[in-house]
Amino acid sequence: MSDIGDITDTLDIHLNINKEDYTLTIGKKWTLLYVLREILDLTGTKAGCKTGDCGSCMVLIDGEAIESCIFLAKNAVGKQIITIEGIADGINLHPIQDAFVEAGAVQCGFCTPGMVISSKALLDKNPAPSRSEIAKALERNLCRCTGYIKIIDAVELASRKLKG
Amino acid sequence: MRSSSLRYIGKGIPVHDARLKVTGRKLYTADLKVPRMLYAKMLFSTVAHGKIIKIDTSKAEALPGVKAVATYKNSSSSPYNSAQRFYDHKLLENEYIFSDTVRFVGDRVAAVAAVDMRTAEKAISLIEVEYEILPAVFEPEEALNENACEIHEGGNKVAEIKQACGDLKRGFEEADFIFEDRYSMPAIHHGAIELHVAIADYDTAGKLTIISPNQNTFAFRTILSKIFHLPFNKVRIIRPAIGGAFGGKLETVIEPVVAQLSIMTGRPVKMEFTRSETITSTRTRHGAVIYLKTGLMKDGTIIAQDFKVLTNTGAYATSALNVVGAMSHKIFKIYKTPNLRYTGIPVYTNTPIAGAMRGYGSPQAFYAQQVQLHKIAQKLNMDMVDIQLKNLVEPDSLELLHGNPIGNPRPIDCVNKGVEDFGWLQNRLTGKSHSSDRFRRGVGMAVGLHGSTLIGAHRDFTCLTLKMNEDGTAILSSGTHDMGNGSIRVQTMIIGEILGIDPDSISCNEADTDTVPYNLGDYGSRGTFVSGNAAYKVAEAVKEKVLKEASILLQEDVEKLGIEDGFVFSSGSKNKRVPIKDVVIHAHRESQREIIASETYSSKGNPISYGAHFAEVEVDTITGYTRVLNYTAVHDVGRAINPLGLEGQVEGAIQMGIGYALNEGLILDEKGRIINNSFKKYKMQRAPEMPEIKVSFIEEREDPGPFGAKSIGECSTVASAPAVINALSNALGGIDITDFPVRPEQILEIISSEKG
Repeated sequence: MSDIGDITDTLDIHLNINKEDYTLTIGKKWTLLYVLREILDLTGTKAGCKTGDCGSCMVLIDGEAIESCIFLAKNAVGKQIITIEGIADGINLHPIQDAFVEAGAVQCGFCTPGMVISSKALLDKNPAPSRSEIAKALERNLCRCTGYIKIIDAVELASRKLKG
Repeated sequence: MRSSSLRYIGKGIPVHDARLKVTGRKLYTADLKVPRMLYAKMLFSTVAHGKIIKIDTSKAEALPGVKAVATYKNSSSSPYNSAQRFYDHKLLENEYIFSDTVRFVGDRVAAVAAVDMRTAEKAISLIEVEYEILPAVFEPEEALNENACEIHEGGNKVAEIKQACGDLKRGFEEADFIFEDRYSMPAIHHGAIELHVAIADYDTAGKLTIISPNQNTFAFRTILSKIFHLPFNKVRIIRPAIGGAFGGKLETVIEPVVAQLSIMTGRPVKMEFTRSETITSTRTRHGAVIYLKTGLMKDGTIIAQDFKVLTNTGAYATSALNVVGAMSHKIFKIYKTPNLRYTGIPVYTNTPIAGAMRGYGSPQAFYAQQVQLHKIAQKLNMDMVDIQLKNLVEPDSLELLHGNPIGNPRPIDCVNKGVEDFGWLQNRLTGKSHSSDRFRRGVGMAVGLHGSTLIGAHRDFTCLTLKMNEDGTAILSSGTHDMGNGSIRVQTMIIGEILGIDPDSISCNEADTDTVPYNLGDYGSRGTFVSGNAAYKVAEAVKEKVLKEASILLQEDVEKLGIEDGFVFSSGSKNKRVPIKDVVIHAHRESQREIIASETYSSKGNPISYGAHFAEVEVDTITGYTRVLNYTAVHDVGRAINPLGLEGQVEGAIQMGIGYALNEGLILDEKGRIINNSFKKYKMQRAPEMPEIKVSFIEEREDPGPFGAKSIGECSTVASAPAVINALSNALGGIDITDFPVRPEQILEIISSEKG
């Protein structure tokens, strides 16, 4: 199955990504993931399945962590999209990113951007989650390296950093 | 070096590229685009076994935007083995880029390169293939039947490997009890989150460059050189970041295909598999059937054990011999069993190709052994831990097979510490009382092991180059393929310790056959012991050069000089102390030479790492769902160079092991198609399903490891699945479990049969 669909059936749209406006001509069936990675070179958002089952393509859409591989780009019009590239402030890491580094939550790194996005969505709503609430919030993100333990540690650490 | 004086060794330090990874700035192969790059797509066999009697690519070729269609008719016909490791490595070669015979659902039939992905996909759908359907066989035992269809000329039995020590017959005659069981375990998917992907660029100077996430750049150069008859200086393999591998990226899969398309078009070509293609058409862990006969004395001493292992190697040879070969060494290194025999038989079937996966034979062999030992402990009314302690190898003993010294194995320490950390005695005694009508709890444990080098199988060496910069920082060139497991970090920590500089002040050029020295490849858990020792050696060589230069600068005997905290100092005079950077500048200005060294470490032995795992599970008798509640893992690592990295390895390995016990396994339908070919259906453990985990290490030094360290990567996963299965058996009243995994459906069947 293609993640782009028929390219002759196009649409002109405006998208707001990482607080910047983009004017784009897209295929009606293009996924947001395809637009991010292939059109805009925002390759920090990863693809591990393209069926909405692994969470490595998570982005924030109006603050919610959403799998961009199963979200049509045209449906993102009028929404605030934040990708992993929009989390850090230039070269300065966000406290969640700092915490991921410090806690040893990063191994191969392929699931990491999606994990950071899901953690951001959680901590924005619930600044002091329990370990089981963190685990629940990461349920849609698969990781094969860490057993999730140090990722959960990192979100706890990030919660403390953001409070402090 | 005394541990009290160590500055970096033993500290938990994140992987070297963590900041790039948390910001999405680390580039993986899928993120790369090369100018004029074409997009490629593969056509796979829809039948389990067949001969292509007609293949018509004309419609695909006529589609605007299609630049090449490759099939067996127009591609290289050189046979190869995708698991070949070095130039003179002799392996059975029965793979081709494409062939007129397909041997499993998902075998390669054709590939298209086109100007965009959409066109490539459309072209694939226009290729017409007619097969003469041949009989197919999916299970190894059936494949060995005399009347089974022959998948390769010469039959389905690839080989038979035997190893033995003692007198097996006598051992069983002497035994007070004999147990015989048959165990089966399925093929499983590696589950790296990164999809398989590769880019090839064959240029007009006749040079082929491959960019792919792989664990073995120098081996891939050998294989591609062989397939396309290219000299080694005309093949370059570059490995960007790897998004997880676990053995699944040790063998060539896509690389020869994109190379073929690039040679045909003269343009760069990229191909990325889907998840379903990655599950079906890359590699799996070998499924296996294991017959295990064990003889014991009344006191629990194992006096004889006989392993017969049939591995399902799938449709092609690849790692068939290597995996049963590796198994044949490892099982001799766990217990003091005097009479032991191993027979390993890899078998072809019409199923996806099995290859390397974390553990490389250990997970299967110890799965059967440890689960049977749990059953034996129950039958003899003994504690599993007591049987372990009675039989496990002891430090400084001799290895049974060849009588060689076995080094410093510490499985007994692992078990003893695990008993304490887990609260084995309390848990064992009280497990039942925690059970209710609906939920039943149980505890189980297991021991596993893995080597630290390739010695026993073949050569093992790593060469590294290290050069000092004028400001006292350094550049390392390393053929190590860091997969996120932190092996580059281990090298920079070792070098930093010896040179007295911060590991973060050492940058690294990684795995690229044109720019870094030779490395055997990253498999066999060799990163810490072999490449870590190479780091030690190259750092010592650079240190010697720094001190020699400093002796000129400080006008001091070199014997009196040492390095500490970025300074060279003299033990004779307090005033004679200069920063390393001044020494390097002096070398450039006065001596006019670079401080650089290349050193090779070759291993003479293969120290074994051990681990003991303890699990507590809770079974929901209504849903059949098993949850692992508590978990303790203790590992004998010689020395913990980077405890943060070690813990991460073990925690991730437990995620895999729990899956191997409770869910994971490829399920084929009657036509050989994989039913669970997506992450929705192939269930890997998710965050809420993980238990609390206690990880700790036994650090009793394994010399000559770097600072006494040995491996962790593969050992960490071996004991996990049997520990969980044993806990599950305990929860279900001590039932025998012989077929893995045990999914909720099976548990409900077990529970309903109890009632019935």
